[in-house]
Formats: sequence, structure tokens, C-alpha cells
Amino acid sequence: MRRIESLIDTNAADYKANYAAMSERLKEFHARQHAARFERPQRDIDRLARQNKLGVRERLKLLLDPGTPFLEFSTLAACREYDGTVPGAAVVTGIGIVQGREVAIHANDASVKGGAWYPHTVKKVVRLLDVALENRLPVIHICDSAGGFLPLQHGVFPDRYLGGRVFRNQVKLSQANIPQIAVVGGHCTAGGAYVPTLSDYNIIIEGTGAIFLGGPPLVKAATGEEVGVQELGGAVMHTSVSGTGDYRAATEKHAFSLAREIVGQWKRTPKTIIETAAYEEPYYDPKELYGIIPKDRKTQFDMREVLARIVDGSRFHEYQPDYGTTMVCGFAHIWGYKVGILANNGVLFNDSSLKAAHFMQLCNQNRTPLVFFQNITGYMVGREYEERGIAKDGAKMLMAQGGSVVPKFTVIANASYGAGNYGMCGRAWDARTLFMWPQAEIGVMGADQAANTMADVKIRQLQREGKELTEEEIAAIREPVLEKYKRDVEAYTSTSELWDDGILDPADTRNALGMSISASLNAPIDDPHYGIFRL
Amino acid sequence: MTISKLLVANRGEIAARVLRTAKARGLATAVLRHVAEQEGPAHLIADEVVMIDGPTPVAAYLDIPQIVEAAKGIGADAVHPGYGFLSENAGFVAALEKAGVTFVGPTSEVIDLMGDKVRARAFVEERGFPVAPSAIEDDDPASFVERARAVGYPLLIKPSAGGGGKGMRVVREDSTLETEIETARREGERYFGDGRLFVERYIERPRHIEVQVMGDGQGNVVHFWERECSIQRRFQKIIEETPSPALTPEQRDEICETAAGIARAVKYRGAGTVEFIYAQDGAFYFLEMNTRLQVEHPVTEMVTGFDLVAEQLRVAAGDGLSAVQADIPQTGHSIELRICAEDATADFRPAIGNILLLDEPQGEGIRVDSGILDGGKVTTDFDPMLSKLIVHGPDRAQAIARARSAVQSYVILGVTTNTGYLDAILAHPDFASGDVSTGFLAEQSETLTAPGEDVSDLLMAAAALSDERLVSDVMQIPEMYRKMGGWRN
Amino acid sequence: MQRIFQMDGEETDCWLGHDGSRFVLNTPTGAVACQLDPTGLPGGYKLRAKGVVRELRLAVGPEATFVHMDGRTYEVGRVDPAERLAGSDGGASDDRLVAPMPGVVVSVAVKPGDAVEEGQPLLVIESMKLETTLTAPRDGVVAEMPFAEGDSFGLKDILAQLAPEEE
Repeated sequence: MRRIESLIDTNAADYKANYAAMSERLKEFHARQHAARFERPQRDIDRLARQNKLGVRERLKLLLDPGTPFLEFSTLAACREYDGTVPGAAVVTGIGIVQGREVAIHANDASVKGGAWYPHTVKKVVRLLDVALENRLPVIHICDSAGGFLPLQHGVFPDRYLGGRVFRNQVKLSQANIPQIAVVGGHCTAGGAYVPTLSDYNIIIEGTGAIFLGGPPLVKAATGEEVGVQELGGAVMHTSVSGTGDYRAATEKHAFSLAREIVGQWKRTPKTIIETAAYEEPYYDPKELYGIIPKDRKTQFDMREVLARIVDGSRFHEYQPDYGTTMVCGFAHIWGYKVGILANNGVLFNDSSLKAAHFMQLCNQNRTPLVFFQNITGYMVGREYEERGIAKDGAKMLMAQGGSVVPKFTVIANASYGAGNYGMCGRAWDARTLFMWPQAEIGVMGADQAANTMADVKIRQLQREGKELTEEEIAAIREPVLEKYKRDVEAYTSTSELWDDGILDPADTRNALGMSISASLNAPIDDPHYGIFRL
Repeated sequence: MTISKLLVANRGEIAARVLRTAKARGLATAVLRHVAEQEGPAHLIADEVVMIDGPTPVAAYLDIPQIVEAAKGIGADAVHPGYGFLSENAGFVAALEKAGVTFVGPTSEVIDLMGDKVRARAFVEERGFPVAPSAIEDDDPASFVERARAVGYPLLIKPSAGGGGKGMRVVREDSTLETEIETARREGERYFGDGRLFVERYIERPRHIEVQVMGDGQGNVVHFWERECSIQRRFQKIIEETPSPALTPEQRDEICETAAGIARAVKYRGAGTVEFIYAQDGAFYFLEMNTRLQVEHPVTEMVTGFDLVAEQLRVAAGDGLSAVQADIPQTGHSIELRICAEDATADFRPAIGNILLLDEPQGEGIRVDSGILDGGKVTTDFDPMLSKLIVHGPDRAQAIARARSAVQSYVILGVTTNTGYLDAILAHPDFASGDVSTGFLAEQSETLTAPGEDVSDLLMAAAALSDERLVSDVMQIPEMYRKMGGWRN
Repeated sequence: MQRIFQMDGEETDCWLGHDGSRFVLNTPTGAVACQLDPTGLPGGYKLRAKGVVRELRLAVGPEATFVHMDGRTYEVGRVDPAERLAGSDGGASDDRLVAPMPGVVVSVAVKPGDAVEEGQPLLVIESMKLETTLTAPRDGVVAEMPFAEGDSFGLKDILAQLAPEEE
């Protein structure tokens, strides 16, 4: 494969300005991420210490193979909810390596509201278990939760994708022969009791771990029986009397050591084989992405320059380089794995849509995973394009994309507007992982466009009522709409609502994709098959 | 009185060493082995191995009736006792005589005489040989304390029946004399079943110099020069050499002639060693006579070219000495290092373990008398000495250099040994200059056991990379993840 | 991937990694890139680490690795932290022996106040036509032996009770 010849001048003023702007954004992003992970009120830290419990990050350290990566999902989930008081939605999820194997991890963060389940907690956990199901990843649950957050129980409990879905997914995992371990390092009360009991293996830490349908206060209220935590659901009782627990661990270290031992003795199922090549670091420095991504989102940039800083050796075999040029398609390797890449270099036209559909069919035929780099404002509109059947060609692209059997991965690199989001494998389209860059935006349309559209409706209504509006009055209507919309399309809103699997520092994209692709190969790839293409 | 079949009533390196000479002389050979004992080199050399049993392995090697029976049972006409065990046991010699088996060593009378330190000393003193001022309790128990006082301080209390440093007490002040006497008496009773004592002048910073002698039992005695054995830990020698760096040629002749004279006085038969205390002022005093082959005899062999075991066998067979004094040279310099399974940094605590890898040094001027085999097991059943490394060089400096290089390349893995400690002694400037005494190791203990360069990272790296389970655990992590390392997004 | 190494009575927690081209031993004081290649001698290796190359001989015992390097011999104890933790299986020991099924006491070997060692027989029971010897779960002192020879007991009855361990 040929190396992409970069045309970027790292001494150019605009490069430097972009670099500075992105660095500023990343500084804020990393600070927020650090706060969500580590900064807690002293009283919460003291409480954990008093309970003789390790923090969730220390627990992960004991669990994971030293010197291996951890791909954390949605660190900033709920960052725009609950006045920011539930960092990470009180749970840590991700893909890590235990005894050389990829596992999905679901760990309550008891330093946040005692690990209580908020609506966004449930959403994050369900998403993690979906990842485990899709990729056939074993799951390790680290349970330490106060239970559902009662004031918001309607957002935690009743609906299809709420609390019950956690347990339903556990059942589906088990049914699919995907093992689960629960390490009980705190209380698992009521519904929470089903996390360890639906796991194939569970380990209860003596003194801190307990499982019961109703805790001592509830038991007293319900039946008048007075009983202590340990007698009611402690490690000794469950591992020697009820059989609810499998192993009791004397300490946290012991518990995670047991968990590692259990993972170590699992059968190793061969992964799905796809085309691979020897690793090669990108020829161009990934940090140069900071200077390539324009500080003004509306400025166009060449996605090939982005790919050159992500793929192995900066090598890219471009498919149909001279046709449908707003859609860059081609083959590359990421961490040795051969992938088919679709990247936007402008709005989608008929030819670019057809090219994309054709390329995706090619990748499905050859079992080549697909990676989407989104910078898309939508499909082209206008009489000429409608006459050429832009909606029909867009549908072909959706049919090919949605019908793909190979694993798909999406990076929202900049804009993700309208139906372009769909064509380019947005959240609804089952990307195995979907990450956003911090300056990216997601919405039905761009902020200005949306604000103008919404303001126009209002202005026309007022004009019909016979009002003449001054420039100032129009601005007064338009500005608040614009401000709100701008906030709604930000990456932080997306990640807060779990529309993505997290915001990425662009320089981390290569590793995040490498891990995602590797994890996806735990699941088989089906034979290609599609719905009906409107020809 | 010819000898055709020899039983070696010993084990370990000395059994192997004796067997080699015996086989070279065309004798049929046999050696003992305790039923629970590891196979050693001797068992591979001997034509025959006789199993013995006893309440403990050591007890079996001390079991006179069983060993005499063994000798008779295999038709051995001679027994070589090696050193230790029954080598200086007059009762053993008598039992063999009764059974018509030749004992390779002196007569039981001489063993009896020299085995009793008090009598031996009196015998030597009466014949005008030098002994340190002393007082013997038995002479007049009532005046013992008074006579001890008269010897002068510092003085040394020793059990009459003692050996190996056990029960010895140094007294520097008159006020503690009587309590020390009582302590020594109790120890003597405990170790030797004999509470009789004697005291002698304690020589400050003494050197231990001994002389190898060989007699034909008819009054003809030659000496094979001296050995210096001042490097001792807990009164036990670990480095011996010859010639002694302390002696002038005149002193050498004097001390060697004295030793030969003592041996002549008892019409000594076979190999023996006369030990002296050598004071820093050049005076020397008779200490004791060992009526057997010594552990350190190889250094003598290296500088004289004689095989002392061969000489022993000649004498025992009645063939007399093979050389007159003038034929016995002292050429170059030889050093012996005793390789022991012990932890020099923990008060020489005996170490046990399995020998996982053994690679003994070889080359010009290097001799290894070994009692161990690769794959063997080191237990506390016997003495912790595993082998002896003996080197020879044209002069002392070259011998030291050769000894250092050999001991550094001596690979014994699986059990803690004193090779590093021995090397540290050889490297010490006072050893190089020959300025040592029997207290050297105790005085220099901190210097000699000081930790060397910190190589812990290298050692841990070696231990990690040779840990196959660890390496396979690491390598089962997919390469991509190993390359990413501890990356976090 | 983790090991505790013991040298001269001191323990060091380490983990071994491999970045695709070389091994890295991570110690509390830093990362040491290292490589070990056989030389052909028995137990002979060339170790490359910290910018030096050392020839050494080594032997791997079940609990320690012995290294002969530059004329000195070293012993490096190896502990797998997981195995050490496995020793804490069961955590705080039980003080009680609970009847696994109903039965009859055949014989009683100890009485309250007796000091017992872990594994020492306390009593023999017969259940389901099988005699079973019940032993002390840990070292301790017998507090109660509620049943005498010939007594019947029910499921989950306490057959022996040890005095609580003193902290």
C-alpha cells in the first residue's frame, strides 16, 4: 500500500492556530475527564476508607493485567445531568485485558452517591452489556451499589432499556455461552442482587460484600425481624449456607486474584480471522491531527490527512479515487488489522453515495471491518439532485451500511448532521464502538442553519400577526435559540447522554480503534446478506 | 602383609579421593553408604558399595561392629578411615586388628596417646619440645585454680577430651576465672562426656601452623613441610596454604624438624599432622597431633608432588616410606578453599538444598576434591563441607590469583555456599600480605560479608526472564496490547 | 505477570511486560528493559539490561532462582502474589463444626478446654451408614462439645465449637 503524501505545512499560521485551539480544548477535556475519574468530595473518600473498601480505580488495577491498556467508555456520561454531581454516572465501564483476554468491565463507583443507579448509570451499563453481547466479551462486574436512586426511579426502572435490561442482557450473555464473573465488594441489594446471582461465578469479599433482596432496614420494616448484614447476606452465609456465593475472599486483593484465576482457566475460543499485516506506526505524527482539524468547524479539510495520522504506516489504498470524490473510500491497516475506511470530504452526492454503497459491499464480501470517519453535513439537496434520485441513492447507501455483517466502527471527527449521520453509521446503526472528537457536533443540522430555521418560523408567525420586526428584535429572537442549539449539538451533550462511547483525544483514536477491532473479533462474522436496494 | 582389597570407612570427598589412589594402585575398592544417603562421587568410583544403617546417618559411620562386619563380609584386608568418624578411634583399630584387617593409620597406642591432649602434651614436653605454659587439672585437682592463675592471663581453658573448638573459653580477667572453669567443665561433660580440663596461655593473634609427617612405624619419619591454617571460622579451618607466609626458612626448618622429632619419639606409623600455635614473635608451641590424614592434605601434595594416600597405603602394606627427607621438595605455593554449604552472612548457618547446577572449575594448577554430584541433595545429616578447591601456583600471589579466578568460576546453584565469602577473604589486603591470625575472620567479619555492588535489578531481570510460567503469562497477552502498554483513553 | 522477588530478606513487587520487541521488568524504582539469551553452557545465559551485558549461569528451583554472576552466587526467591493470596482462601476460619446431615455421635475425642491443632480429630459421627471423622478447622481451644457418644443430632446442629481467636 502506498503512503499518503501529506501536504500539511506544520509551520503554516493556520496549522499553528488550529493546533493551539485544539490544545486548549484538549486541556479542558482532559481536566474534565480527570475530575470525573478522580476528584471526589473528601467525605466520600473518607467513607470508603472507613468501610475498608478500595476505590474503583484501585480495584481495576488489581484486576487488569499490568502494562495493558484499558479502553474506558463514556467517562463523561451524565456530565450535563444532575448538576454534574454524578461523575461518570457512578459507574466505570470499558474493555480491559485480564490474563491476556479481552473482557468487558462493569464497575460501580461507590465514591459517587454510594454507587447508586441513576438513569444514566443504567444506560451506561446496558450499553456495556450490549457491547459484550455484540462482541462476545466475557463480563466482569464489580458490584458495590446502594441500589436504584429512588427519587428518579421512573428513569431507572420501568422502560425496555432501563434496569431490567441489565439483567435481561446478563441472561442473554449466559445463554450465548459468554461467561460473567461478579466480584461483590459492597452491597448488592434488591435488583442489584441479580448481578452476582446471574453471573456464572461470583466472589464475595468478607466484611464488605453482601447480597440480599432486602437489606436489614427493609426486613425490619416488612417483617419485624432484626438481622445484621453479615448474617443476612454476608460472604460466609452465602458461600456456606445459601450457595448464592461461589467464593469468599478475605481481602480485595484476594478477590481480584481469584477473579484473575477464574478468567485464566476459561477455554480460549479462537478469534475470527481477518486479513492482517505486520504493525507499523503511522508515518506522520498523530499529534499533528491537532493542527489539521480546523478551529472553525465550517472550514473544509482533507480526511486523507487525518487518515495519514491514524493508520499503519500512513498507508492507504484508495478505492475509486476519481469518482464521487466527496466520499473517500479505501483500505488501510489499523494495528495490523485490515479495514475498509469511509471518510467524508464534503457533502454526499449521488455518485459518492453509490461509491460508498459499492465499497461497503466489497468489504462485506471480503470480511473487512468498516471504519467511518464522519465529517458530514448531509446529502445534497436541490431540484437537480432530487431528479437524479439522491434519496434513492442515499437509501442504497443506508441499505448497504445497515445490512453490513462485518463489524463497524465510527469516529465522529467533526460534523455529524442529518441523514449523513445515518449513512455514516451513526449511533442507531450498531457501530461496535462510536467515539467523538471534542470539537465535533451532532444534530439534525448545523447550529446556524437550525437557529435560522427556528427563528424564521417565529418571525413569520409574528409577521402574519402584522408585526414589523427590527434587526435588533430579530436578533433577540434568534440568539437564545442559537445559544441553546449550539450547546445541544456539542460533544459534551452527546457524551453526557451516551449517544457515543466517549470523547477521544484525536491522538488516541488509533489505539481506541485497535482495541475495538480486536475485541470485535471475538464474535463471528456472518455471511453477507442484504435487504432490497432501490435501483 | 599385602593389601589387595581396601574398604574406605568414610564418605564424601575424602572417600572419593582415597578410592582414586587405591584404584590407581590396582586395589579392589569398596566404600560405605548409609541407606538414606545421597549418591556421591565415591559411590561411582568404588568397585563395591556397602550399605550401612543406623539411628542417624552419622551414627552408622561410627558403628564399629557394623563396619568391621562390613569389611569382613566383603573380604577387605584393609580399611582406610579417611578423617573424622572412626579415624582416630583406638577401639576401631583394635577391633580391626582382632578381625585380622589392616588399619591404614597408626597403632592404637599412638592414637590413644595423642587422642588425650593432656597426656600428649606431657609426652611432648617431657621430651623437650616446646609447649605453651599450662596447667593440667588431673595433675592435682585441688590446686588447679591456683596453677591456672600462675599460667597468666589471657589464658585458654580447654576440655581434656575436646576438639574442634568446643568447650574452649578465653579468660582475660582473674575475676571470671572460676565461673569460666565451671562453664567449660559443663560443656566438656555435655560434648565429650568428660569434664576434665586444662588451661594454657592464650596466645594473642596466634597463627595456626601444622606439619605433615609420615612414619614407617620403625622410627623412620619424614616431614612434608608445613601448612598454615590460620583462616578459621568458629575454630574451624576454611582456607589452608603452604608454604606459610609467616615463616623464614630457618623457622620453617625448625618447626618441621620439631614435628618430625615428635613423630619419631612415638615411632609414628603412617600419615600424621603435628599442629602448633605460632605466636607473632616467632615462638611456636605444640598444640596437638592428629593421627590421620588431614582435610587440607592436598596443598602438601601440590607443592611436594607426593600422593600422601599412596604413601599411607605403602606404609600400611609394610613397604616403608618411598622417599628420604632430601627427596621431598616444596615447590611453588598451594592454597585450599573449603567449599561449604553455609551462609556466611548468617553466622555460618548450614544451608540445605538441591544442587540444581554444578560446574566445577578446571585448568592448570586447579584441583577439585568433590563430594557432590550435579542433581544431588545437600542435607544437614553430615558436615556442611561439599568439596575442596585446591590451586597451585609458582608463588603465593599467583596462587591467590588462581584461587580467586577458580572460586569465582565455581558454579554451585541450588544451595547457599561460601564461595563468595572465600573470594572476599582472598581479596582482602591483609590476606594478600599474609598478615593474618586465627582471629582474622572474626575481626574482619563485617568487611568480608559486606554486600557487593547492587545488582538486584539484574538479578530480578534474570529471575523473571527465566521464569517460564511468568514469561508465558506475559506472552499470552496479544502483541498489540503489550505494545500499547498501560495506555488509557 | 507479577512476581514478588526476595533477596536478602527484602521483597520487591515487580511485573514483567513485553512491548512487542523486548521484555521490560517494572520494579518499584523503574522499568528495566532486559533480554536473556542462552550461551550453550548448562544454565548459561547472556543477560542484557541497564546498558550492560553480563554472562551468568542460572538454575531455576521451585521457589527460588539461583544466579552465578561475576564470580558471586545469588539467590532470588520468587513468589507469585496470586498463590500467596490463595493461602488466604476461606478467610477467617470457622469456629464451628456444623452437622452436614443428621446422624449419631460414634465417639468424642476432645473435651472443652482442650487445645487442638488444625486437622486434629474432634469426634466421629455416623450418618447415612458412613462414619466420618470431623477435625479441627484451625488451631485453637475447644469451647463446647454439645453431644456425647451415642447422642443423635440433626442437620446443621453444632457438633463442636472452638473458642474465638484472640486478635
